[in-house]
Amino acid sequence: MSPTRRTVLGLGSGAVAAALLSGWPARAQETVTIAMKGSPRGESAWFEPNAIAVPVGARVRFVNEDAGNSHTATAYHPDVFGRARRIPSAAVPWDSGFLLPGESFEVVLSAPGVYDYYCIPHEMHGMVGRIVVGAPGDPGWEGEQAAKGDLPVAAQAGLVPVDEIVAAGPEANR
Amino acid sequence: MIGKIAPIALVVGMLAAPVWAHDEGPLLQAPPPEPYVKVSDVLPLPEFIPGLGTLYVDPATLPAGPFLSYDHEGKLSATVYMTPIEDLENGVSFDDLGVGSHTVTSVDIYYNAGHPGVESPHAHVVLHHDEDAKARLAE
Repeated sequence: MSPTRRTVLGLGSGAVAAALLSGWPARAQETVTIAMKGSPRGESAWFEPNAIAVPVGARVRFVNEDAGNSHTATAYHPDVFGRARRIPSAAVPWDSGFLLPGESFEVVLSAPGVYDYYCIPHEMHGMVGRIVVGAPGDPGWEGEQAAKGDLPVAAQAGLVPVDEIVAAGPEANR
Repeated sequence: MIGKIAPIALVVGMLAAPVWAHDEGPLLQAPPPEPYVKVSDVLPLPEFIPGLGTLYVDPATLPAGPFLSYDHEGKLSATVYMTPIEDLENGVSFDDLGVGSHTVTSVDIYYNAGHPGVESPHAHVVLHHDEDAKARLAE
């Protein structure tokens, strides 16, 4: 099976200005990899890392490193399976579709704020992730969407608090 | 008295039990006949899943199965059942399920977080049909 790669450019309004004013514009074009993993017999599945901070305009690559299962990286958004929005209003929602082992998907995140996403077949298990793009105070910044009680218990529990991600900063991804 | 009733009850029970004494022959080598379909042809899953092999299922029997599991050489190696935890908690039972072979050498039961086709957390019940089956399905 040959690995494939798909890309979505998440260009949001005001993205350029936000990138220029963000505290991390120098690394805006860096690519951060998030692995999709699972235990050998599928008892558990997770994103690794499941919480990251990236500069505005960063490219995020999701790679399925689970030899025995397929996964998705899917943004919480009404345009994608009718879910409540958990990404900035200026962001373009995305859905990787099912990625088989070795396949990958990329998205460029240009609207500052908090992005929550999940794996379709493993959301109930708690396979979710959170990306903080830019930092509070960036023009157009939108923080965590108010809890709507729309997530499975395990998914809600799997979202790392925004302040912890911000405190760790982009260096924590390295 | 009990000694006389027990054999009679056993015979009656055997006669009342569902008959799964189907002809195993067509199932022993992949591909099994219709209505079985290869899982990877209809769902976004690897053709050979480490630990489960190449799976075939009759769609009418989802989610529980039986899923017929074949090794790399196409030999029937296991029969697998997938039972959603929430269903079990709610009192749903999965009875009289078919088997791919009447020879079972070991059984594994373990939790699975989900996958395309059975997306809620569920249990895998794996009936291995020979002593080497588990090793052949491992990778």
